Amino acid sequence: MKAKLLAILLMLSLVGYGQSPVRGRVTDENDQPLPGVNVLIKGTTLGTVTDASGEFRIDNVPADATLQISFIGYTSQELAVNGQSNVAVKLLPDVTSLDEVVVIGYGTTTVKELTGSVAVVNGNDLTALNPVRVEQALQGQAAGVQISAASGSPGAGLNIRIRGFTTNGDNTPLILVDDVPYDEDGLAALNPSDIETINVLKDGTAGIYGVRAANGVILITTKKGKKNAKPTIDFSGYYGVQQTTKRMDLLDAHEYAVLKNETYASGGGTPPFANPNLGKGTDWQDEVFEDAPIQNYNITISGGSEKSRYAIGGSYMNQQGIVGGDKSGYRRYNARVNFTVDILPKLTWENVLLYTNERRDMLPEMGIGSVLFNTINANPAASPWKEDGSYAFLEDVSEVINPLAQMANTFNRNTVNKVVGKQEINYKINDNFEVTGRAGYNYALVDEKQFNPLVYYGANKAQNTAANAALEPNLTKVSDDLSIPVYNNIRETRTTYFNYNFEAFLNYNRTFGVHKIKATLGTSMLGYDNRSLTGTGYNVPYNSNDFADISATESNNYLNNTSSWQDRTRLLSQFVRAEYGYGSKYMLSASVRRDGSTAFGANNRFGYFPAVSGAWVLSEESFFQTSAIQFMKLRASYGVSGNDKIRPNGFLSLLDGEGVYPFDNILANGVAIGRIGNPDLKWETTRQANFGVDLNILQDKVSITADYYVKTTKDLLFQPDISAIVGAYGAGSSTPIINGGTVRNRGLELRIDYHTQLAENLRVNIGYNITTIHNEVIALPPGVDFFEFGSFSVGGGTATRMQVGHPMGYFLGYETDGIYQTQAEIDERGVTQDPATTSPGDLRFVDQDGSKTIDFSGDTDKTRIGSPIPDAIMGLNVGMNFKGIDFSATFYASVGNEILRNYERQLPMSNMLTYNRGRWTGPGSTDEYPRLTTEATRNNVLSDFYIEDGSFVRLKNVQLGYTLPRAIVNRIGASRLRIYVAANNLLTFTKYKGFDPDFSNYDPNVSGIDYGFYPQAKSIMGGLNLTF
Amino acid sequence: MKKTLKAGTLFICGLMAAVSCDDFVNVDPLYTRSADNFFRTPTDYQQALTGAYDPMQTSYLDLWIGEIASDNSIAGGEGVTDTEGLHQIDAMTHGGVNNELRSLWRWMYAGVTRTNYIFENRDKLEFDDKARIMGEASFLRGYYYFELVKFFGAVPLIVDRQLPPGEVSSQVRTPATEVYAQIEKDLQAAADALEWTTPVKGRITKGAALALLGKAYLYQNKFTEAATVLDQVINEGGYDLFNNFETMFRVVNEGSKETVFDIEYVGVEGGSYGCFVCLEGFAAVGFHGIRGYDGPVYADGNSYNLPTKDLYDAFESGDPRRDASILDIEAFIAAQEEPGKIKYVTGAGGHTGYYNKKYLKRSDELGLGDNDLTSPVNHKVIRFADVLLMAAEAHNRKPSANDNLALQYLNRVRTRPSVGMAALNLTGTALTEAIYRERRVELAGEGLRFFDLVRTGKAAEEIDGFEAGKHEVFPIPQDEIDLAGADWQQNPKY
Repeated sequence: MKAKLLAILLMLSLVGYGQSPVRGRVTDENDQPLPGVNVLIKGTTLGTVTDASGEFRIDNVPADATLQISFIGYTSQELAVNGQSNVAVKLLPDVTSLDEVVVIGYGTTTVKELTGSVAVVNGNDLTALNPVRVEQALQGQAAGVQISAASGSPGAGLNIRIRGFTTNGDNTPLILVDDVPYDEDGLAALNPSDIETINVLKDGTAGIYGVRAANGVILITTKKGKKNAKPTIDFSGYYGVQQTTKRMDLLDAHEYAVLKNETYASGGGTPPFANPNLGKGTDWQDEVFEDAPIQNYNITISGGSEKSRYAIGGSYMNQQGIVGGDKSGYRRYNARVNFTVDILPKLTWENVLLYTNERRDMLPEMGIGSVLFNTINANPAASPWKEDGSYAFLEDVSEVINPLAQMANTFNRNTVNKVVGKQEINYKINDNFEVTGRAGYNYALVDEKQFNPLVYYGANKAQNTAANAALEPNLTKVSDDLSIPVYNNIRETRTTYFNYNFEAFLNYNRTFGVHKIKATLGTSMLGYDNRSLTGTGYNVPYNSNDFADISATESNNYLNNTSSWQDRTRLLSQFVRAEYGYGSKYMLSASVRRDGSTAFGANNRFGYFPAVSGAWVLSEESFFQTSAIQFMKLRASYGVSGNDKIRPNGFLSLLDGEGVYPFDNILANGVAIGRIGNPDLKWETTRQANFGVDLNILQDKVSITADYYVKTTKDLLFQPDISAIVGAYGAGSSTPIINGGTVRNRGLELRIDYHTQLAENLRVNIGYNITTIHNEVIALPPGVDFFEFGSFSVGGGTATRMQVGHPMGYFLGYETDGIYQTQAEIDERGVTQDPATTSPGDLRFVDQDGSKTIDFSGDTDKTRIGSPIPDAIMGLNVGMNFKGIDFSATFYASVGNEILRNYERQLPMSNMLTYNRGRWTGPGSTDEYPRLTTEATRNNVLSDFYIEDGSFVRLKNVQLGYTLPRAIVNRIGASRLRIYVAANNLLTFTKYKGFDPDFSNYDPNVSGIDYGFYPQAKSIMGGLNLTF
Repeated sequence: MKKTLKAGTLFICGLMAAVSCDDFVNVDPLYTRSADNFFRTPTDYQQALTGAYDPMQTSYLDLWIGEIASDNSIAGGEGVTDTEGLHQIDAMTHGGVNNELRSLWRWMYAGVTRTNYIFENRDKLEFDDKARIMGEASFLRGYYYFELVKFFGAVPLIVDRQLPPGEVSSQVRTPATEVYAQIEKDLQAAADALEWTTPVKGRITKGAALALLGKAYLYQNKFTEAATVLDQVINEGGYDLFNNFETMFRVVNEGSKETVFDIEYVGVEGGSYGCFVCLEGFAAVGFHGIRGYDGPVYADGNSYNLPTKDLYDAFESGDPRRDASILDIEAFIAAQEEPGKIKYVTGAGGHTGYYNKKYLKRSDELGLGDNDLTSPVNHKVIRFADVLLMAAEAHNRKPSANDNLALQYLNRVRTRPSVGMAALNLTGTALTEAIYRERRVELAGEGLRFFDLVRTGKAAEEIDGFEAGKHEVFPIPQDEIDLAGADWQQNPKY
């Protein structure tokens, strides 16, 4: 009824005042055109969107009409037409836009009405950082989101952790790109410049995603184009050169020879170098690291008609490795077609389609046998080359091979072809009801090809696959009287990852006076079908990668083999959410989701995940009248969510045990139960409480968001020892996976954004965020005191523990108390420290248990010597605009985490870090670095000597750009041209001795062990953004 | 508005339909045989049975402990912390924390569970060969429980079903007599179902079942019953003593007429120190090998389970079984053509100069991979000589003793070709003692001595450190007591 009245009034007004077209142009604070800005006649649905030149035209505008001009990220404006036919509008950025849309899962809300804790990151902010993968740019952009590299090699994944470690299992959040699930690895397929926004659901309200939401939810939306917009062509590209962020400080040949002589002499041996004056020798890091190019080009065409909008684009990215160049390079082609059509007035069809082709080459990384391990430990007195030009053998350090030869002999390539898409239909039943149905799919074909040529690195090297330098094959015995040669081989694996989902949901939205009601009801089906087939063929012709394909190998070689695997998991869900708002003051939201998954045991196949949240906008209250605060909202939420990323079929007793016995002297393959089943097996459950406040002060120049969270995850999955009488200890058998154990994360998040105009054309914005993480294991399965993980050195036992009262993966080892200076000090200390292995110059360990003896066989004198979990992580973004010049800098910091230095191989002849220059050489020489000797000592046990402060501050990106004046740009037919220079990872401030403190391992229990990490690159780039 | 309602109703109905679509998530894993989805063909039964045989291939522990705990041998090895559990047992200082005893406990219960898995599903299918399969399964369960009761005394008795983890805490330690009752029942069932001979080498026979049953009776001092079943083995089994005592243990003479029950091993699959229960080779043989050995005939090993001088001296003079059972390394080297070229080292775990020659790693009997782990030599658990001596003892000690028959059995062992010792003529306890002595020398190094000493009440006088009332059984692994949470009492005095 009201609507009808309005229409009549409107018609009357049209008749009464006459109409005419209005043209206009919208620009930003730098007088640059703003395309895609919404222009609407106030009180109607009539309007348009600005084109690439920032221009618009609306016909039949009443002379007294008011135009509403709005654009995400900018303060909306209203403009009275007053009979003008040509208007100019300048929009100013609004970092505190309260009307900004926030995606909350199966619906949206605004910053103003949001009751949960959601971080919103604008895609343009990410693209500006020139990331290869979107997560790289997300680091430091959103409070509560911790991102660290799993490797610095091109194409490698990152570890995304939202609000700490919630599980000893898979901590990866749920990632949905246009509502299609991606795994973390799969994010590589995404071109960062396709991204419109990223919303990170961090608190209990993520529970609308139920059993997948415990690690948080990342919702990524890609660009879709705008209605009524002329086609816009955006081209962007950059080219850069990368270097390692750091080289380790290693001994040169002279220092090496001197120290090795000392080492041997101290152990009573013969000094190996008669003449230690060997000069600088070989700098293996010089030999291995190289300057590697990186380049990226995107083109996007977007626009729309009255009934449709589209964004079509393609990109090319190529990043070579700073180690090995194309031997660790990454290349990606990417094509996207997004279009949305109003098929009927109320029926919209949205299509999203992405095709990606990726290629990644990999070298051995991390730990013993990796290229960088060999680089660090190689003898600097040795030449990389023999006189005949072939690769030298490094025979004096048994575990180290020539890293240059190793790189040359590595052929390991993954190729990914991926198609991801979504078909979505949205039907607006009436003003209140809207129904959405969609089908999404994500299909990836991953081809891995690894050629293992016959290689020989010198006598007694474990990596040798040939019997000798002439590359003759080894023999293997296949029966008592037959031996056959083991030739080179090629292993090819094809894995298809496929997931599909069907979702349907109904949204209801109605306002009765001051009461605003929204409701959502829906269902979802999600399936994963993954399968893999591997074949290995022997004897590639000529031992050459040019022929490395199974088709070229010996089809009947006895050693050829195949294998395969497949898994199928399914998730079925129903969900409902109700939201209520009273005026703009009070908001309340409640949701519940029911999830059932094939991953869970029969007794626990379905779970319910409720969440409630509320907000109170204090600044709307009449009693709250202060000019100091423009907006203030208090938020609280509590929700239950789950983690379903548990091993498929973990609940079943499978017949994959080993039951082999010889009959007639021939092994018969029997059948036995493998892991004992557990029909009660279920998801991990996370309960999270969140309290937040949003504040805008200083005339909206400063906005602050603060949150305190307590997140407790119980029912963690373990396979503890159980009573043997259930029979879990046969060959190939294991104990059941059980739910038991709890971990808690709590902390504070704070985000402050400040923007101001300092002068006529000088705008400055600063964004700062900090997250504290306090992680503590609360409970483990009954009877289990701790679980041990990781490894230190070779055969050095475990390095970390998961134990009640401590953070996950904390380091357990000996605490040192300086260096023994004299024999008298050892004798008179009153604490016995294994006299046979202790001499002056050795580390002095603390007697933790007061037993007056340092116990090296048990754990009683070990203590917590560090935690890999930072106390706080921080991000700082600074931006400045002056006329056409823009400058930005992004910093990221991690504070209070420790790293275990585990890349040194303490073999007699391996190279060493330069801290050994300061080794103990006699009483009073140092209280920090132990003596060097070949004698047996306890200096190599895991102690705080190997634990380092892993804190760092890194200038992730710094960029200086210039947008050419419009007059010049128009001459080449373009509407905008920006050129820039940028640098990624230019500066890193850290005390850490290793390559790169910004790393983590996927397993949270060993996340802080540095096995010799491939460092991230520092790159200097030049690029341009061009719009037609 | 009506239209809206209608659409909404339809939609919600759709949701309701989805709710009843829970079948979407009730699917079986692809291409995967699960435990509940098995026993569909006779082959399935046979495969499950093969799986139940597999845990027997951990018998190196049975052999070692049976010797090392006794006066026959010392633990040996690299040092006193090299397989520390054996050194503790050697010194009779073992307690509830002992890796070897815990492994034995775990693996024997794995065997029990694998046989129970078959019994649990025995009614799923009927087929021709089923009686044999169930018979072999019965034997295996009897064997595993016999090992458990022999080592630990009262143990939880779980029969014909797999124990759900949730029921562990309600399991009590079943008295040894009841465990033995089940063993007797199983072995009798096996004997009833099986034939004296099998066309497949390695399969359990009626003779194996009856011989083990006889042994089980003997361990309970049920001499009359023992005599009966052992006589049956001797008279009906078609077994005989092998004509060469020394070479009887070689791979080439496997499956001879003297073999009543052996555990089969082969050397064609490599092995790993990470998984002893996975081995297909006999770990005892490689570990018995001479440490650091470089020379003819034998091969390098870990010098475990080294015979004592006490055992060496226990042989009557002229008994060829001494030099067939025990290798005197120095004497052997001295007798070679170029003694100076032969090298070996001694481990800090002890050295006697003697090695267990019946199960000693030889250069012509090596398995693939790490040949400490992959010996193809079978473990002869019950030889016909053992059956004869057990029968002799049973006839001698049964209430209505038949010393004539006992003596006949004893002398058959002593006087056989390749041994050729003089026949004895004794009765009563003198005969008993002679049988005990004969058992020691005939069966030296075969893992029987400790249990023989215990069951005959002679352990305390023969074994240093043996405390009567305590060491007759080994302690239940303390971790197992804790994990069970069922208030099991530890064995006395541990």
